[in-house]
Amino acid sequence: MAEKVIMPKQGLQMTEGTITRWFVKEGGNCVSGQPLFEMETDKLVITIDANVTGKLLKILALEGSTVPITETIAIIGQEGEDTSALLAQEKPSQANTPAMMPVSASAQAAGLTPMPVAAPAGPVYATPRAKLRAEEKNLNVEQIPGSGPDGLIIERDVLAFIPQKATPLAKAIAQQEGVNVSDAVGSGAHGKVTRADVNALIAARKDTLNTRHGTLVPYEGKRKMIGDKMQESLRTHAQLSHQIKVDMSRAVELRESFKAADRKVSYNDFILMATARALMDFPAMNAELTDKGILQKDYVHLGMAVDVPSGLIVPVIRDADLMRLGEISACAAELADKAKNGKLLPTEYTGSSFTVTNLGMFGLECFVPILNTPESGILGVGKIEKQAVVINDEIVIRPMMCLTLTYDHRVTDGAPAAQFLARVKQYLENPFLLL
Amino acid sequence: MDRERALHIYATMNRIRKFEERAVQLFEANKLRGSVHLYIGEEAIAATVCSLMTDQDYITSTHRGHGHAIAKGAMLDRALAELMGKSTGYCKGRGGSMHIADLEKGNLGANAIVGGGVPIAVGGALAQKMKGEKHFTVSFFGDGAANQGTVHESMNLASLWKLPIIFICENNGFAISVPTWQSTSVKDISVRAAGYDMPGETVDGNDVMAIDAAVERAKTRALNGEGPSFIECKTYRWKGHWTGDPETYRTREEVASWMERCPIKAFRAYLLNNGIAKEKELDDIEQAAAAEIEAATEFALNSPEPDPAQVMDDVFFVG
Amino acid sequence: MSIKTYAVAIRDTIAQEMRHDDKVFIMGEDIEVLGGIFGCTRDLAKEFGTERVRNTPITEATFVGAGVGAATAGMRPIVELMYMDFTYVAMDQILNQAAKIRYMFGGKAKVPLVIRGQQGIGRGNAGQHSQSVESLFMHIPGIKVACPSTPAEAAGLLRTAIRDDNPVLFLEHKALYSTKGEVPDDPEFAIPFGKAAIKKEGKDVTIVANLLYVSKALEAADILEKEGISAEVIDPLTLVPLDIDTIVKSVQKTGRLITVHEAHREGGWGAEIAAQVMERAFRYLDSPPIRLGAKQCTLPFNLGLENAVVPQVDQIVQAAKQSLYR
Repeated sequence: MAEKVIMPKQGLQMTEGTITRWFVKEGGNCVSGQPLFEMETDKLVITIDANVTGKLLKILALEGSTVPITETIAIIGQEGEDTSALLAQEKPSQANTPAMMPVSASAQAAGLTPMPVAAPAGPVYATPRAKLRAEEKNLNVEQIPGSGPDGLIIERDVLAFIPQKATPLAKAIAQQEGVNVSDAVGSGAHGKVTRADVNALIAARKDTLNTRHGTLVPYEGKRKMIGDKMQESLRTHAQLSHQIKVDMSRAVELRESFKAADRKVSYNDFILMATARALMDFPAMNAELTDKGILQKDYVHLGMAVDVPSGLIVPVIRDADLMRLGEISACAAELADKAKNGKLLPTEYTGSSFTVTNLGMFGLECFVPILNTPESGILGVGKIEKQAVVINDEIVIRPMMCLTLTYDHRVTDGAPAAQFLARVKQYLENPFLLL
Repeated sequence: MDRERALHIYATMNRIRKFEERAVQLFEANKLRGSVHLYIGEEAIAATVCSLMTDQDYITSTHRGHGHAIAKGAMLDRALAELMGKSTGYCKGRGGSMHIADLEKGNLGANAIVGGGVPIAVGGALAQKMKGEKHFTVSFFGDGAANQGTVHESMNLASLWKLPIIFICENNGFAISVPTWQSTSVKDISVRAAGYDMPGETVDGNDVMAIDAAVERAKTRALNGEGPSFIECKTYRWKGHWTGDPETYRTREEVASWMERCPIKAFRAYLLNNGIAKEKELDDIEQAAAAEIEAATEFALNSPEPDPAQVMDDVFFVG
Repeated sequence: MSIKTYAVAIRDTIAQEMRHDDKVFIMGEDIEVLGGIFGCTRDLAKEFGTERVRNTPITEATFVGAGVGAATAGMRPIVELMYMDFTYVAMDQILNQAAKIRYMFGGKAKVPLVIRGQQGIGRGNAGQHSQSVESLFMHIPGIKVACPSTPAEAAGLLRTAIRDDNPVLFLEHKALYSTKGEVPDDPEFAIPFGKAAIKKEGKDVTIVANLLYVSKALEAADILEKEGISAEVIDPLTLVPLDIDTIVKSVQKTGRLITVHEAHREGGWGAEIAAQVMERAFRYLDSPPIRLGAKQCTLPFNLGLENAVVPQVDQIVQAAKQSLYR
């Protein structure tokens, strides 16, 4: 019995996901519990495992397609099983633009080399009759190049469409070089894409790269999500920042002591811990402006910004105020690992009440972060650096660190914010208070 | 005029009067919708003209058509039901006050287009002539319609083809608010008949005997194949053009003076003075009309509404 | 079968029906001695007399109204209008009276009336004698509208019209009167209303046309055939009742629809057909339906101007190609 694979909802706010990669190709074998595809939501990149074992009979959502949650993206079943009944249940797909613009049939026929072009925003248009024909032929109409006005997919396009076939070697080279075989013009039998075709495509791409016009990176998906959110943050919040220098001498000593006891605790763990405590002391900093008023939270879900290849993500240490240092340390390590591997669960990167962002590892002394909405405070952490400081009228060398607090002046004022920052400093300069 | 017909005319006039009075009451009680154009004060014309007609003779009527329909044989109950839009009405609630038709009684229908029914009457008379029937058609229309082109064309065609038709122009003095003198080039509309080579005469439209004499002459002419006649009946409508007409175009004194010339009272006096009927007989006729309208009201109020599921029926005849 | 012109087919059918039923009579302008200006009543008066073949004065509203009255009173009149433009003179009698009598009077009356005559371009008759009126009458319920495009259809549809117990507007085209075709001799030969004629089968595009434009659509279809496009040409024959099923079925097959008529394009019957097709066969469409019709201006006298207003064969060809994205 063939089964549908749907776009799985990952977290409360997810409405759609973009397929970034199929680990199993159409016709390949799926094993329950083994990775099936990778997808990207507005929050994360995640690998989804197959939940049944069988043959991947049909991929409905190609790589690059954005698909609403619960919509069917593939069908798994037994070899040779008839999937037409299952496919017939599918309403015409609402899946969004694949990453590459389809190349028109006439351009292909004319032997023109397709140029990789960023996909235009918006839906793909097909005439009602083209959709009807595609449905009859079990084709996804969106993968068919349109030859009508403005790329409109018309009946003739569907009738003329032959799904792109490629030799195994061509596929392998394409995968290795990071090009899409479907962009190649097939010169083999029945339009099959050969090694030579893929090489031509790669050469064409190199030519394109050599023209020094820059690379157009699509502003979409996660990039757009982050960008929009940051702009929203600056537009809607009354942000300003305070800075303070912290003497980390005792933190260094304490860390050395842990190390000696074979316990690994990072400076960042101290900072997280100190922040969680200080937030409990100053609930005005752990707040959110809502329709009903300022909600001062009685818990600390501490966000920690992490840079991963797909962009910024903020995993959340939930109930950090209830944790001991060791717990925070372990939790932070686990979340960072998951984030780097795209394995975060939605509950693990949503709902933070305050964020700590650390760019010290890049050598920054200090920097001013912007709020991670809807939070009212974010702490930017610089590097720890030995500096000459004056203590008791003597010049001494101390490991110093700069903290920058950005807060929402709608929610609180300068003095309480300064006091909060001073309290974080106090905890870090007297880290035994955290134990 | 024989006694039987005289009493029939008297009864018809009373039945029309009761019907119209009840129609106003029901309208004011919000039991009727649409326009209700009342015939009160003009009853002598329809009652007398139709007393000379059989069910095979045709009439065409106007927006002020209740009197014509009743005089031509319509039942008060089904007519009132039509005014109320009920399924038992003459038109199953599709026509209402302005479109009562009863083909079985020779009523080719009331017409809400002023002058619209007159060519149809010509066609009715043409059919009677072509079929060789000894029947005739009466077209009722008002002083307003007398200025419509179709009325003039109809008079020409009827005279040209010598059709058995009588044009009855009910001149009640006003086309809505416009007095006849302001709309019509002649004082007596009947003089226009001469232009179409047919006899025309003007009579007192509140005088049964005068109307009767003129229509008798015209009917004889029609049935002898001599062609059409034109009779102008001068009368007056007591009520406004419609229920709710502010009647700013005439004085109360003018209305009161015409109400003193009530055609029913006048005919009652004539019947008594000439020993044609006794008080008691006439009282009985009036009471019978009153009882009939009570029963008709009961019938109409209790009749079912038409079924919206049948709203598309009868757009076409389906053979 | 006999070869007859369109005009003679009409004349002969009237004669046959007058023999068949003595309630049938005809009246109109110049029909008695002249036989109508296009000869559709030629010599009828000789056979049936002037009572049944009746010249009227120029008084359209009233002789159409007399037709309505005579029909209601049991006759079966045929009223000839010299030009269909004159329906506008008699509009009250056609639309307020004939079309409404049955319904408004509760379904008791029958109005077996045929109003017939010619319309359209082709003789340089200018603005008040060249109009195509069918779309206008399709809009008002209660009157049937028939438009024959061949002599046989003229005969078959006219018989159905005369025998129908409802008012029928029977629209002939002046440019078709001299066209010839085979007509069955059977005096009972009738073509039912509400059944469209598929004039040519095809698979790529459906062209719906009536009257003079049926031949123009067929001409366009020939040109398209040479370019590898197979057009199906349908003549609805009657607009009321309309056989939309045949058209929808055709569009389901072809996926494209062109409507073409001499009547004005805006608010024309083609628009109604296009709308109904979109309602009923939207998912079968590969391109938006295209309507061709006369431009929204009064029909001009000058031949070149007249041609500029009404659709031409090459425009039908272009429209068909456009519908195929070719």
